Amino acid sequence: MIRAGRITFAVSSALCAVVFLTLVSAPAVAQQWPSAENDQTLRAMHDELERSRTRLVMPGLDKPFFIQYRLDDLDLRSISASFGALMSSSTSHNRLMDVGARVGDYKLDSSNFVSGDEFNGFMGSSGQVGVDGDYNSLREDLWIATDQAYKEALDSMAHKQGFLRSLSQPPEVADFSPEKPVVMVNPRVVPDWTNRNWEEEAKQATAGLRAFPELYSSRITYTLVYETYYVMNTEGTQVRKSRTVAAVEANMETQAPDGVPMHEYYTVYVDRPADLPSPAFIAQQLDARAKEMIAMRTAEPMPAYTGPVLFEARAAAELLAQMLGPSVGGSRPPVSTMPIVDQLMERLGGRSEWTGRVGTRVLPVDTSLVDDPAATDAQGHPLAGSYTVDDEGVQAERVTLVDAGMLRNELMSRRPGPDFDTSNGHGRNVILGDPRAASSNLIFRSSKGMSSADLKKKFLDECKQDGRDWCLMVREMDNPAIGIERSDDREDEIEALAAGASSGERVPLAVYRVNVSDGSEELLRPGHLLGMSLRELRDAIGFGNDSVLFSYSQSQENNIAGTALAAFGTSENGLPSTISAPSILFSDVEGREARGEMRRLPLVPPPPMQ
Amino acid sequence: LSAIYNRFCRCSILLLSTILLAGSAVSVQAFPHTPAPPQTSQAAPSPVVQTMSAELERSMPVLKNATPPVYFMGYTLMQTKRAQVMGSNGALLDSSENLERWLEVEVRVGSYELDNTHKVGGAQPAFEPSPGTAAPLDNDPAVLRRAIWLETDRQYRAAAEALVRIQTSKDVQAQSAEDAAPDFSHEKPHTYFGATADYQLDRRPWEQKVRDYTAYFRQSADIINSIVTFTAQADNQYQVDTEGTQLQFGQVRYRLELFIEGKAPDGMDLNRYYNFDWVDPKEEPSNEAVMAAEKTMRAELEALVKAPLVEPFAGPTMLTGRAAAVFFHEVFGHRDEGFRQKDISEGQTFARKVGEQIMPDFITIVDDPTMTHLNKDVLLGSYPFDDEGVPAERVTLVDHGVLKGFEMSRQALKGFPDSNGHGRRQMTFEAESRQGNLIVESSKKVSNAELRRMFIAEIKRQNKPFGLLIDDIAGGFTFTGRAQPQIFKVEPLVVYKVYADGRPDEMVRGVDIVGTPLLSLTKIIATGDTEEVFNGYCGAESGSVPVAAVAPAMLISEMEVQKKETSTDKPPILPAPAHDSQGGKQ
Repeated sequence: MIRAGRITFAVSSALCAVVFLTLVSAPAVAQQWPSAENDQTLRAMHDELERSRTRLVMPGLDKPFFIQYRLDDLDLRSISASFGALMSSSTSHNRLMDVGARVGDYKLDSSNFVSGDEFNGFMGSSGQVGVDGDYNSLREDLWIATDQAYKEALDSMAHKQGFLRSLSQPPEVADFSPEKPVVMVNPRVVPDWTNRNWEEEAKQATAGLRAFPELYSSRITYTLVYETYYVMNTEGTQVRKSRTVAAVEANMETQAPDGVPMHEYYTVYVDRPADLPSPAFIAQQLDARAKEMIAMRTAEPMPAYTGPVLFEARAAAELLAQMLGPSVGGSRPPVSTMPIVDQLMERLGGRSEWTGRVGTRVLPVDTSLVDDPAATDAQGHPLAGSYTVDDEGVQAERVTLVDAGMLRNELMSRRPGPDFDTSNGHGRNVILGDPRAASSNLIFRSSKGMSSADLKKKFLDECKQDGRDWCLMVREMDNPAIGIERSDDREDEIEALAAGASSGERVPLAVYRVNVSDGSEELLRPGHLLGMSLRELRDAIGFGNDSVLFSYSQSQENNIAGTALAAFGTSENGLPSTISAPSILFSDVEGREARGEMRRLPLVPPPPMQ
Repeated sequence: LSAIYNRFCRCSILLLSTILLAGSAVSVQAFPHTPAPPQTSQAAPSPVVQTMSAELERSMPVLKNATPPVYFMGYTLMQTKRAQVMGSNGALLDSSENLERWLEVEVRVGSYELDNTHKVGGAQPAFEPSPGTAAPLDNDPAVLRRAIWLETDRQYRAAAEALVRIQTSKDVQAQSAEDAAPDFSHEKPHTYFGATADYQLDRRPWEQKVRDYTAYFRQSADIINSIVTFTAQADNQYQVDTEGTQLQFGQVRYRLELFIEGKAPDGMDLNRYYNFDWVDPKEEPSNEAVMAAEKTMRAELEALVKAPLVEPFAGPTMLTGRAAAVFFHEVFGHRDEGFRQKDISEGQTFARKVGEQIMPDFITIVDDPTMTHLNKDVLLGSYPFDDEGVPAERVTLVDHGVLKGFEMSRQALKGFPDSNGHGRRQMTFEAESRQGNLIVESSKKVSNAELRRMFIAEIKRQNKPFGLLIDDIAGGFTFTGRAQPQIFKVEPLVVYKVYADGRPDEMVRGVDIVGTPLLSLTKIIATGDTEEVFNGYCGAESGSVPVAAVAPAMLISEMEVQKKETSTDKPPILPAPAHDSQGGKQ
């Protein structure tokens, strides 16, 4: 094996397209998987898990009460192009494993503890393993990783118990939830890269952008993933599930004549490579975005503003992804010996606004919020976040989070929280990262959704009542994870985003000034919207009946929670997710021009594009 | 917060390999000079060079009139085609091939005497954009020019900011003599257009080989993990600059690396490593040669597991040629890098010692990147031009014990105004003076058998019960900064006690060499007559670069060793599945 961390993988987690499904309730003792299967990977995982479960103990110390093996088999194809030229093209096949061990018991175990004393082991409990499906080598790798995971758990437990004794009130919430084992062995996916010429498509999709000399740079990346994911634990869970995902992610950047940096992005996330749009279609989309960005270069900057703002459905979905992200999960935070971790979380808005408020009104009375991983489509439109069993091997459940405006439930992984003790199948991870409670297909609805015409009329009426000549409308929110190609050049922008995290600062991408007299629209250069936290959503004054599905890659890196940076990842670091939302009318939003010092334009004019 | 931002970075990350040196022994009578092939057969300039030249000609007239003015600008495009086949514990880990093009722009503002690269003690580093950008794989001139244009603007902005900080720094006014040397040397421009370097490879046979090579190690219960990696790499470098240099040249390198890990009963981590390097596919090592290396590695690891820990010791020590080569690379080679004599944060060990006797008069040291082979052994640190476009030169560093000079990049030193073609770097790093092929020659040679007799005599003379024989050294690391103690610490991997009373040699483990470099160099008594070659990748300030080191065995009158820190992680609790009597293997 190779230690995790020595090699950087550009891989993506993917969405689930389950073909066959055998959901069996299993006894608490690990048993054989369905006999028809002759998967050496499953056999090796099972046999080494059994050996560890029955025999692994450090003399005089606790045995592990729980061991979990996860293995990710990833076939990845990645192609990027710029202005019709091929920039990179790669194909890879890798297998990664991770072993988790816990000592103690479900109530108090070795997890949920952050300290400065990291276990300094020999090889670590995760790494890269053979792609052959070879029984003997995998057992060898699992053997070392299990040994390391167990020693790590003993070490962490010793530190944790010491620290807990110093607290006047140790946390009452349990560390880990016992769950019913699941046995599900789905067919494996076999990659097929040949059905389309992806290099040619990437070039074709971007060649048209050569017609825009104003563009400083642009890049399109195609990412195609075939993944088989295994999870097995000492409670008897044995899962093999396969999924595919395909993504197109594109950006373009320029600078306004006064120095303000500008960018645009375009993304598509689908569950099969074959479902990706044609290069001609993508070229058309990029053309429209290039034109929009070029118009924004010379558009009037968004002025300081306080008043009603209408979010069109797509922008509303993008906004909800950012606002709801930190609050829908109900898991407890870890115990930390470093107060800085807590302070950092607080400052970054990483704390749930909903924990401890079950049974109270958190959204308008006519609205509901449901997360449904089991659904595969909504009115015939595919959902990106679907799965039947989550990444901890727990059966996925449809969860009604908010009903008639009242908070009823939270999304749970196997990490309990103050309000709920057990998982509802929402433990998700990217490439064997720490599973966290995350949304899958999140559906926000209003029972009093208005037609577009009625909502716009209400919007303009609000503006009139305010005595305004014009109001702001948002058509699209920014996605800096995709839109900005080099974050090191744009640190000031990113810092501004982070600074505004706890105050609900949001960055739109396409903002229009709507004239109250005739309803006409005028594109503005985007600024920032302030104070847009969940409270504002609770006080929203109107909803459309025009729900759209917005699929995106949900970042699992947990950075600057509550901002676009935490909500949106790339196909390489995020979880495929869908959010459904209608247009939303807010009564009172503050906005201002983007701040920061503007860079001068390049001294040398751009070279010819032909 | 910066840690959080870093996770958001989408730019590509180049992996840095740590220094790993190993090699093979050859017997030579004298050093045949085999300079790099005289590069007469020139090919046509690539479209890449033409495009880069066109963009350079377009932008320099503007930038040389900017404030501050650009006085030098250079573009480098590195094309890397790399195949990797890796196995572990009997299975294939990875088999992949990748083609990349990476473009970097160097912009210098100010003047040759004082420019934006000037090192100022204590000053905050200026805004440093991550260097470079991906370049199109096809030769699309418009897209390449756009990439150069954007990158030039980023680098110009950073250079201009840096120069202002430097000019306003108090430290610039109060400089030592070394600092007064120009920041950038004047060099003659060179034009060379070599043929494109490429390899043709079927990875499938290697996929089976890495499985087989690692499967062998599973036979030993002491080997906890094994990794075998085959790589083929074709690098093609394209460079143009405003002084008129235009270069294109390439190299193909093949490498097979064997690595195994184990643990001593007290938890100490143990490993063995071996590598084969070759440049001609016909020189690929045979299965027999690889298996012989594997048998040796296995036997050494198994012996290390059982070996006792070393006790602190100071006394006669013998280094085999392989160990001596690494020792000189670390202790002498790094300290003799030109830029370390200039940087006021450095120890400047040799800065004022030119012309002085620093080691016995029978030792001469050269660094010669123009040598591609030593007899049949490839020398990994050879190149026709360095990364600043200066032709590689053979340079005498120590002549009969007297320090003569340094490995020089274009960063000038007082008394050493010119580069000698040792400005090297890994892409994304800035070039610094580095070693190429460091060659230690001796005029006091005895046969290796005679050297051992002298060793035992020396042990007896000092009234010691034993001396140490160091057979293999893993790179280790060298403190060269002024803030750190001027000691070196190299990690000997295979060490034997050699007894004066004729008992058989006894392997010991956990040995760390300690001491001061200048002193240890003066204590060499004699050398063997068999030069041994080490090839490796050396990591330092300017990244990882291929190097070779060559030396004969050496007898040193006194060396000091201490016990290495051991890991707190004990050996695995359960036996390996393959060696579990209660069942494991299937």
